[in-house]
Amino acid sequence: MSCMEWQNRLEGYVDAELPPSEMTAFREHAAHCSDCAAAALALIETKSALRRAGHRYTPAPDLRARVLASARAQAKATRVESADFGQQKKTAKLLMWPRGALAAAALVLLATGLFFAANRYPRPKSLGEFADLHVTALASANPVEVVSTDRHTVKPWFQGRIPFTFDLPELQGSPFTLAGGRVAYFHQEPGAHLIFAYQRHFISAFIFRDTPQLAIAQAPFSDRGSSFNLQTWTQGGLRYVLMGDVNAATIQQLADLLQRRQ
Amino acid sequence: MTAESASPEEFERLAMPLFDALYNFARWLARDQSEAEDLVQETFAKALRGFASFEPGTDFRAWMFRILRNTFLTSRTGLRAKMTVPLEPEDEESKAVNWETPEALALASATRQALQFALEQLPVAYREVILLCDVEEMKYQEIAEVLAIPIGTVMSRIARGRKLLRQMLAGERAERSIPAATARGKLDQV
Repeated sequence: MSCMEWQNRLEGYVDAELPPSEMTAFREHAAHCSDCAAAALALIETKSALRRAGHRYTPAPDLRARVLASARAQAKATRVESADFGQQKKTAKLLMWPRGALAAAALVLLATGLFFAANRYPRPKSLGEFADLHVTALASANPVEVVSTDRHTVKPWFQGRIPFTFDLPELQGSPFTLAGGRVAYFHQEPGAHLIFAYQRHFISAFIFRDTPQLAIAQAPFSDRGSSFNLQTWTQGGLRYVLMGDVNAATIQQLADLLQRRQ
Repeated sequence: MTAESASPEEFERLAMPLFDALYNFARWLARDQSEAEDLVQETFAKALRGFASFEPGTDFRAWMFRILRNTFLTSRTGLRAKMTVPLEPEDEESKAVNWETPEALALASATRQALQFALEQLPVAYREVILLCDVEEMKYQEIAEVLAIPIGTVMSRIARGRKLLRQMLAGERAERSIPAATARGKLDQV
């Protein structure tokens, strides 16, 4: 094939849409033809520049919850109503209240979080911020970005999203299950926010690189003044913070599991 | 699809991971936040209603993007965009792309901001195909399904869309580099 013919197939090559034999043939051709190689390279760079530029918009934080709530209301309405033609209007009406209910629930949870944060007086400031993260995540309709009970799914998901790696314990035989994880930010530093389920409670585990901003008391910490319990420690240069509305012994049990793992 | 596998829970499981990508695409199409939010909202509602007709094993992502894109086309902005895009010479095609000109490099070296601006200016028929191919990294076949057009048209639109982007960015760069060229010209005279 001549250069002219190859250059008309370039788009197909960089999009990996040529038949395998032609993909190989082009690579062989480009090894000897600097013009075609340079053109292909320019196009490959174009593609990646476009990919970066195109990932531009992220949805408003509450949009996901709003869409999910109305989808759920719609599903519920469809189940309840028999399939008649007047259904759509009724569905539309039914869509209205869960959104309000959800917003109210979120407000209550946030208020709880703020109350907790405001009343943390003797504690270092950062624990309150973790409490906010915990409460805000649970108030959201989608508390986790990676939904999985499998540590082999959750752990790799964080690769490239946070600047460190961590290990997760085997939870089989323990009363805990992994609900999933998300990326959390603490002082502009990305870290892992894992959510474990214990009976009907959720426990947040935050893992961040241990920086001076994370000036938290080392000792196990239990707060009798509120319904939250906390446990924090550093290990291998990482700061762990466990938090949840379960008793201190349960938090300690999960902490032990995580500590043994490291 | 059986009643059980078409459950709302199954729909959520499949659809929610696409949420951010669908929103990004909607925003690029509509170029307005609240319109994009409405588009996503409507897309999810329509998709859930029609979920029973989705064939398991086929491409769910393409299905969702198709619903979003059709919803956009029937929206006010979508209708306007359709009216204002001139019929493209799909087959005349960029047969002789001159890859040696600085034009070829204009796109690769453009800043993110310049690229985003150029992408915004691109007629929607090219913008959508570039977004699906380069941002969502869909295969031509998948794009053809989303847009309900033949694969050949997908290929020619991608080529033409990239060409238009290159021209826009090369034009901008040429304007910026005129003083430099003049300076060189003077040097040559010496």
